[in-house]
Amino acid sequence: MSLDYVKFSGGFEKFMPKEYRDMVEHGPFGKKISVSQMGSFKEILEEHPMCAGCAMTLFIRLAIIAFPNPEDTITVGTAGCGRLAISQAAIPFVYGNYGDQNGVASGLSRGLRLRFGDKPKDVVVMAGDGGTADIGFQQVLHSWFRKERFTTIMLDNEVYGNTGGQESGMTNRGAVLKMAPLGKKFEKMDMLQMAKVAGCAYVATVVPNNPRRVESVIKKAVLIAREVGSTYIQAYTSCNIEYAIPTDKVMEDAKTVENDRYQFTEYVSDEAKQYLTERYGYKDYLPKAAAPAAAIPNKA
Amino acid sequence: MYLVANIDVEICASKSCKLCTQYCPEANTIQYSETMGTDKGYKYGTAYIAVDRCKGCALCVWVCDTMAKNNAIKMIMIDQLPLAAVTDNIRYEEKTTVAVLSNPMIVIGN
Repeated sequence: MSLDYVKFSGGFEKFMPKEYRDMVEHGPFGKKISVSQMGSFKEILEEHPMCAGCAMTLFIRLAIIAFPNPEDTITVGTAGCGRLAISQAAIPFVYGNYGDQNGVASGLSRGLRLRFGDKPKDVVVMAGDGGTADIGFQQVLHSWFRKERFTTIMLDNEVYGNTGGQESGMTNRGAVLKMAPLGKKFEKMDMLQMAKVAGCAYVATVVPNNPRRVESVIKKAVLIAREVGSTYIQAYTSCNIEYAIPTDKVMEDAKTVENDRYQFTEYVSDEAKQYLTERYGYKDYLPKAAAPAAAIPNKA
Repeated sequence: MYLVANIDVEICASKSCKLCTQYCPEANTIQYSETMGTDKGYKYGTAYIAVDRCKGCALCVWVCDTMAKNNAIKMIMIDQLPLAAVTDNIRYEEKTTVAVLSNPMIVIGN
């Protein structure tokens, strides 16, 4: 895990595929890259088998670009659509058993700190709503209560997408799906509130129709997780197959859902605010200048 | 045959909003080139499609029409494109890319 792992071994450069050579020479490793430069550099994410027009893929693409130090990052995932794209990125990817991704990430994060000391090595969990809120719920919550220092990102498509459309805890009440024909009878789980109760230092919701916001949120979450504690991002990443969204309307749907139930929210603990300000120069959390006092009329 | 996105250079190079490059779910599929626009006398560079990676979702069409209001992207059958960019013929430079256009049917067929 360092810049060395993407360099060519001596004498092998000419045998490497074009995509790999482009990534080493023109990729984001060791550089400051932003979403505004997309289309002008070789991305870490390669071709993948995700469905055409998938919003989850777009979010994963943006998230990977937003990693502050991709050469020092490990992603952890579990069963679900997302792993089909995450595993096609030139970043080490650990594929846990279903639901144990936050347990794996806890051990990994601690091990990396023992091995590398203060040198930042970022661990980012990206798993679906089923892996995070249902099957992995116990390990997710306990990692938060233990204040494990890594980022958890829920790719919330509100359904078990690649097993045929079963309802998940994150499906909306009343939603009718192929494998939930009577409609879901319970409310969508409030994972945001649970993350706050469990002590996460940073909690945010985001929708991929605002790439700059996705970039900003991911960067903050990963940086805070380096030293302060657990961070959680919940991203709406629609399943256009199970919800029958025409592919050219995926962003329109994202906008509708953003206005309906996925407005941007961001919680930053006081400790995290102080850390971002002092360590990384964020100005958003500086104390606001006091308003000038109202003029006191002179007594005649 | 199948549909792929195609960008009108004249429109794109006069606006250069680059929004489509940020919304494609596929990496390195909508690329940006300074020279493809400015070499033709337009004000800016232009976005273009690496057609061998395009899955034909048309999400970029919605972004260009509805968000950017430029109407520069249309879906077109790949065999109706006389010239297009493909990944093997795209070169990366410091802050841009350069594509040598070719007949995609011949290149992908090879």
